[in-house]
Amino acid sequence: MAKLTINGKTVEAPDGAPLVEVIKQNGFYVSNLCYIDKLPPYAGCRTCLVEIEGARGLQLSCTTTVRDDMVVNTVTDDVKQARQYVLSVIDANHSDRCLTCHRRVKCMPGDICLRDDSVTHRCLTCSKNYRCELQTTNDLLDMGKDSVEPWAGEERTYYEAAPPEPDRGNPFFEFDPQMCIICTRCVRACDDLRHTGAVTLAGRGFSTAIAFGAGGAIDESNCDFCGSCIDVCPTATLMERPNKWLARTEDWVSTVCNSCSVGCTISVGHRDGKPVIVKPDSLNPFSDDQICVRGRFHYDAVKQSDRLAQHLVRSGDNLQPTTWEEALDYSVEQLAAVHAAHGAKAIAFLGSPIATNEENYLVQRIAREVVGTPHIDFSAGPVNRAVAQATAAAFGTETLPGDLTDIPERAKTILVVADDLEESHNVAALRIKDAIDPRKLPLREPGRLIVITARRGELCDFAEPYGGVWLQPTPGQEAGVLGALASLLADDAEIASAASEAGLDPAVVSAADAGSTGVDGAALEHAAAILREAAAAADEAFALVFAPKSTGVAGVAESAKAAANVALLVSGTAATRSFFVLPTEANVNGALDMGVSPDGDGKDVNGILEAALGGEVKALVVAGDNPIMHLPGRARVQEALAKLDILVVVDQLLGETAQQAHVVIADAPTYGKDGTFANADRRVQRLRAAQAHPGDAKPAWETLSALGTRLAASLGNAVAFAYEEAADVTEEITRTVPGYEKFQFHGYFGWGKGRAVDESAAGQIALQPVAVDAPAPNGEGEVALLTGRTLYTSLEGATLRLADADKLHREDGVLVNQLDAVALGISAGDNVVLQDGAAELSLKATLTADVPQGAVFVSSYYDGGAVGALLPAENGSTAVPRVKLVKQQA
Amino acid sequence: MLETEATLEIQQLVAEFRPGNADLLRALHKVQHRYGYVPKEAMGVIARQLRLGEAHVYGTATFYSELRLTPPPEKRVDWCSGPACRLKGSTHVRKVLESVLGIGMEENTENDKLGLHLAQCNGTCDFAPQIWVDGKVVGPLTAADTVKLARELKDEAK
Ligand code: SF4
Ligand code: SF4
Ligand code: SF4
Ligand code: SF4
Ligand code: FES
Ligand code: FES
Repeated sequence: MAKLTINGKTVEAPDGAPLVEVIKQNGFYVSNLCYIDKLPPYAGCRTCLVEIEGARGLQLSCTTTVRDDMVVNTVTDDVKQARQYVLSVIDANHSDRCLTCHRRVKCMPGDICLRDDSVTHRCLTCSKNYRCELQTTNDLLDMGKDSVEPWAGEERTYYEAAPPEPDRGNPFFEFDPQMCIICTRCVRACDDLRHTGAVTLAGRGFSTAIAFGAGGAIDESNCDFCGSCIDVCPTATLMERPNKWLARTEDWVSTVCNSCSVGCTISVGHRDGKPVIVKPDSLNPFSDDQICVRGRFHYDAVKQSDRLAQHLVRSGDNLQPTTWEEALDYSVEQLAAVHAAHGAKAIAFLGSPIATNEENYLVQRIAREVVGTPHIDFSAGPVNRAVAQATAAAFGTETLPGDLTDIPERAKTILVVADDLEESHNVAALRIKDAIDPRKLPLREPGRLIVITARRGELCDFAEPYGGVWLQPTPGQEAGVLGALASLLADDAEIASAASEAGLDPAVVSAADAGSTGVDGAALEHAAAILREAAAAADEAFALVFAPKSTGVAGVAESAKAAANVALLVSGTAATRSFFVLPTEANVNGALDMGVSPDGDGKDVNGILEAALGGEVKALVVAGDNPIMHLPGRARVQEALAKLDILVVVDQLLGETAQQAHVVIADAPTYGKDGTFANADRRVQRLRAAQAHPGDAKPAWETLSALGTRLAASLGNAVAFAYEEAADVTEEITRTVPGYEKFQFHGYFGWGKGRAVDESAAGQIALQPVAVDAPAPNGEGEVALLTGRTLYTSLEGATLRLADADKLHREDGVLVNQLDAVALGISAGDNVVLQDGAAELSLKATLTADVPQGAVFVSSYYDGGAVGALLPAENGSTAVPRVKLVKQQA
Repeated sequence: MLETEATLEIQQLVAEFRPGNADLLRALHKVQHRYGYVPKEAMGVIARQLRLGEAHVYGTATFYSELRLTPPPEKRVDWCSGPACRLKGSTHVRKVLESVLGIGMEENTENDKLGLHLAQCNGTCDFAPQIWVDGKVVGPLTAADTVKLARELKDEAK
């Protein structure tokens, strides 16, 4: 630590920290228009000048690092004047004169500028007025007060040139370069914070300008609309389009993104009960200052008027509005009738991976305590329980202590097993890139990446060029590749002996063959060599990131076991901290932790549907889930639900399951709720309400606790659901759910920091045999059907099958390998049909080299999960589903 | 990206270049040598070959004045932006050129027959203010001379 003096105050800071950050952290103001915290300085704006005793002339505080006994002054007349002159040079190229105008607070946007009648664009009419860093900088440097005006007495040359054209061609951002001060923060945010490199400084001299991609529109570049550049832009040049001309926020609420299990913490700005803007909130240290397009822009994917605002009850073919009371009473009556006639086991419950812990907790309480049925699950339950079981068998516990922040901070070798992590878990992929290509200060040693995926994604580009490798198996052979890797590792004498010492039996994994996995032998050997090095360097952190597919339980289970084996061989007992499972949806871990899983002889969701078809299960309560959308074998799901005597759905949206229900009880929007989520590494994070409840909608916890109370009364058992607010449920969870004891809802201390895991747990580790079937060749005219979570499609929008669920329309089609396309005479944009027996799906073809030959890819959420119709119901097979691909005749 | 014949050709052209090897400028030069300019598709191909963002390639290509992103015109008119010409009224010359030809600096007429280019002083300030038509110095020019010359050039370029 260095001790230094800033404006007479003695402060402490780490040796070598950038002075500008230290000044700001200690509550002093220093203009710094080109600096981005944590990144190397750019030193382009020169507005951060300060006086340092003993130094010649004024110094840039962004390039200066602190040392002991430094005496810094930010407020002398010299410093102020120097900064004013520098700023006036920047102002001279900015299209605004309000900056130095004493009248600004009196002017209204419609007024003509009283100082200069040729001024058309100005702060008063600018969407960033009063929330603009350039403006604030001018104010704080007294540019107006001291009349430091670059344009004083000037001919109005600036206004003679036509302003550059703004780019308003995409749904997410507006880029209006007339306000740009060429600070290059956006360029560096995109390069160094995001590793995307979609923005550049083009040209030179006076014609220098910010450009995207190859100089075209933003949406033609490789920008993925994370908005990181918007956050750092000190002017109105880059702004969120849905917010730019909209009402300012009334207030900000800190909550959690609901679109994947990374669980980025976000601040939702809202007005009149509507979210109007989202910014990252660094409560979750893993997401820190970043989010992805879903977190930032999906808040308005579904209009408030498209949400359920009324409770509904079935009358014939129609769902008719009813009151909450009546909906509840009718549900209770019907459930009690089923209970009386067929017993508790004729009733089943589904929770949801996008519902809060509180809601899931209540669902299982009603099931277990009130009804006494063991049939409890959620659509994503079987897949994720299979992974949890494999994890528990490998590591002795399914709640692994590994902390995701280890990946960017320490991991030296990273193995990713995922479809396309960049798309499914964007910020996790980002943090992996941070480890591979470190750009933030203090720079860490770069790590190496191995990616296993059949489909090329952006993360693959971070493997080979950085000394890693991308292993591309034949679709469905992920477990096979992992098995082959494990066997290569087990063949290493040192690894084998270390494994034996740790109590593992390497014989379990040896002799697996890479022959039929489709992976190139040299690439496989390269990956094994990297992993051997990782195993040998015991003090270096290893991370294995596994993002299971959402369907195909058997295949996922084998991949999970095979992945755990590799982690164990590399890290031995330390593997519990190196194995990371990233479920698709936001609160899968919460749902599992709350006990939304069948008991003993209870049935899982597939069993429940089978039983509904067979007439054993007669009633189903679904809270927040949508099995028709999420489960494969859609026709069978629909048929099973249609057989029920009573289907009660509690949901925010009238999705397809709700449309088949007898009672639909309207739930509040996720961003209108209080509660908690547990993310991938079981960080338990708070949701806080930022959005009004449409119409009669009530947060599901209220509905469920009323349903529990009334059902208990009707069934004559004395179970109490005495909650005044969601917090009371949380409080009960902290008393009753293992791992959650450490949280106290009312004391906010610890939220976002604590994780529901026992960090000291040391379980029994074991290698597990993996069953890998050789890949079957495609039949005549067939292709392998790959599906996965894609980046742009909003789950909520997709649930309602909105045409704009993917506002960019990048994902509403099928990806076809370009060589296959040529062979079949398919051109880009043609309609093709995917067929599986009677089920058909017609889609627009996009040609690509990213999907392997003999396979096609469809976003799993496209059009309400329409692809589910082509996927076989869970059948215990690890085979990849096949469909016929034909060109649609015009 | 679907591989059209043109992109395939560019791919072959830059196949020798490697990532992390300071090959970007060589690749851009090679492409420009072959086509006379750097076509937009080429930036994508080079970016992929060198594992760079397309924006990185674009930023570089626009930084160097000898690299151009549009096809070269059949006939090029250089307008001298130097100080001597400026003092002797080159601004008027520029305005006339731009308005008569209907194109700005670094732009071509639609048929690519004629293009304007902003040039630096070449030391022949005796003839200031001047332009160079296909490299040949024409000057000193009055605004009226320029109008006449520009009209002729325009007619030729039809
Ligand atoms: S960007 Fe800022 S300084 Fe510029 S006009 Fe807008 S509010 Fe004013
Ligand atoms: S939104 Fe993200 S990816 Fe796009 S330009 Fe900005 S920083 Fe880069
Ligand atoms: S767009 Fe914004 S961040 Fe980028 S250079 Fe211009 S002012 Fe700076
Ligand atoms: S990475 Fe996941 S949690 Fe984070 S903003 Fe994107 S979708 Fe939301
Ligand atoms: S912040 Fe130091 S030069 Fe811009
Ligand atoms: S200034 Fe034009 S030729 Fe020298």
